[in-house]
Amino acid sequence: MGKKTLWKPESDFFLQQILQNISVEGGNMAQPGVQMQGPEPYGAHGPRQQYFSPYSWNGGTVLAIAGEDYAVLACDARLSEYFSILSRDSPKRYKLTDMTVLGCCGFHGDVLTLTKMLDARLKNYKHEHNKTMSCKSIAAMLSTVLYYRRFFPYYTYNILAGLDEEGKGCVYSFDPIGSYEREVYRAGGSASALLQPLLDNQIGMKNMQGVQRLPVPKEKAVALVKDVFISAAERDIYTGDQIIINVITKDGIQEESFPLRRD
Amino acid sequence: MVRHVLDGFFPTASNGVVLATEKKQKSVLYDEHSVHKVEMITKNVTKIYSDLTPAYLPRLLVRHARRIAQNYFLTYQEQIPTTQLVQKVAYVMQEYTQSGGVRPFGVSLLVAGWDEDRPYLFQCDPSGAYFAWKATAMGKNFINGKTFLEKRYNEDLELEDAVHTAILTLKESFEGQMTEDNIEIGLCNENGFRRLSPSEVKDYLASIA
Amino acid sequence: MSIMSYNGAAIIAMVGKDCVAIAADRRFGVQAQTVSMDFQKIFQMGDRLFLGLPGLATDVQTVSNRMKFRLNLYELREARQVKPKTFLSMVSNLLYERRFGPYFVEPVVAGLDPKTFEPFIASCDLIGCPMIPEDFVVSGTCSEQMYGMCESLWEPNLEPDDLFETISQALLNAADRDAVSGWGAVVHVIEKDKVTTRTLKGRMD
Repeated sequence: MGKKTLWKPESDFFLQQILQNISVEGGNMAQPGVQMQGPEPYGAHGPRQQYFSPYSWNGGTVLAIAGEDYAVLACDARLSEYFSILSRDSPKRYKLTDMTVLGCCGFHGDVLTLTKMLDARLKNYKHEHNKTMSCKSIAAMLSTVLYYRRFFPYYTYNILAGLDEEGKGCVYSFDPIGSYEREVYRAGGSASALLQPLLDNQIGMKNMQGVQRLPVPKEKAVALVKDVFISAAERDIYTGDQIIINVITKDGIQEESFPLRRD
Repeated sequence: MVRHVLDGFFPTASNGVVLATEKKQKSVLYDEHSVHKVEMITKNVTKIYSDLTPAYLPRLLVRHARRIAQNYFLTYQEQIPTTQLVQKVAYVMQEYTQSGGVRPFGVSLLVAGWDEDRPYLFQCDPSGAYFAWKATAMGKNFINGKTFLEKRYNEDLELEDAVHTAILTLKESFEGQMTEDNIEIGLCNENGFRRLSPSEVKDYLASIA
Repeated sequence: MSIMSYNGAAIIAMVGKDCVAIAADRRFGVQAQTVSMDFQKIFQMGDRLFLGLPGLATDVQTVSNRMKFRLNLYELREARQVKPKTFLSMVSNLLYERRFGPYFVEPVVAGLDPKTFEPFIASCDLIGCPMIPEDFVVSGTCSEQMYGMCESLWEPNLEPDDLFETISQALLNAADRDAVSGWGAVVHVIEKDKVTTRTLKGRMD
């Protein structure tokens, strides 16, 4: 009988080949002193994490003001990503019913999905109840829809404007996971930080002495909206091109647009 | 003792400063226009020197002064005021009187500049002492030159007249024929410094004769 | 959380007709906790020259002291008052000297030229990159809010009183939408022959 040799893993050529092939994501199995030939095997430098983000930020600003017998909802029409402008004609307002408009911006993919789903739910509601949903109910439903995705949220900022049951203007603002509140005025989206303190001052009459709070006339609200958007477009690169202003009254929704800087 | 052999005459006018100097060469073989006795330090400050030492000495001071001026600009984004430049150059000259391994500079300087809407003229000696002048002369015939300037100078002299006065002062004690090749003239006003070209000097000389 | 917003601050400077104004909030806090409501963030550096320092409070005081030190030496050496633009270069220089270990402040300079009385405002980033606009500058934790306010409220050639009202409204309303700045404000209006200093109460919460 020949000499009996002890089997060792490092001396088994085929085993080494197999181990090298399966150790792509594990520790580095390359043997010292063994010259590699041809291209380096994948993972030769150890594990590497790959990332994928399910979100993007496409900018956009929405703004709503509630008056005595009207509500104004304005939004810009720019769609951007990083430093690119994807569209100059992509208004962020979505007409939900004859007297409710939703302003919705953030990640455009989620905006589309969310608005599509809301439309479907509203249609369903109409078929089931034979009436359109009230502004208040839409707000409550939107909150539920958003909270349903608590741990993988729709990356959208929502502002709902319309008329309440008494015919008064109403504005509901939301955070991306469904916290909501009825308010008199609210700015949302990329230029919200620029607009909100101005609305506090001009509509909320904050930091003013000896003035009484009068209801804001419709014309003044529309003019103010234009002014503040011009200012926002000056400093925010994700706001510009044009604004779309929706005025909701008991007679319906009137829409007008107003140009902003395009750079 | 420093021996000055060349002359510089420098009246400040109401709207600028004139620097005029005799530039006599030791040999006719020199290319006269390759050697300068008036040098720009920075946009608004000019320097002239009078000496009998090898040319590298004043050049060293010019290099120092230019560096000081650019350093100031780097720090403050503003042209160095003449006063500041003189102060700092004088400091360098003083150091050379005291430091080991070096000897004092064998040059006196006249520094002209324009800032804060008025002209400046300084004399800076090897000892590190410096003085501000309305008009002065330096070099071997400085006594005659100063006496002449004392008679001719007045506060609201225009720059053009100051050039004439400077040339006339220089002429007082000039040995031989004065030509565009053996004198040098520099002007400093609100637009900065300019060394007159030989042809311009020739025109001035012609208008005086 | 960024170290720039550890203490919180809001500072604005604005140009008016032959005058400038500079305003700051007065809060000193550590993250969400307010510690005092009379913290100085604007420092007078000359007869008509002010330096506003928002950022990390310890660096605010260090930078203001160091600038005063350099300024005193400058004014003794040159026997004249510093021009605002020159002062800006000095600030920028100080900050760039710490390029790789910066002071966490983003200064604002406001003043009138000591000779021509020309209005001047400017701001710097924390490593000394200067910016000299002709309308207004903002700096601090609520800069977005301040930009929104200033961009709408500011107009050219405001008289001193109108400038005061404008800068005050801009600052107070902006700071009210920021959790780490506010608690009253101080406003300096700098004119050729006088400097008016007013302290304001805002919403104190």
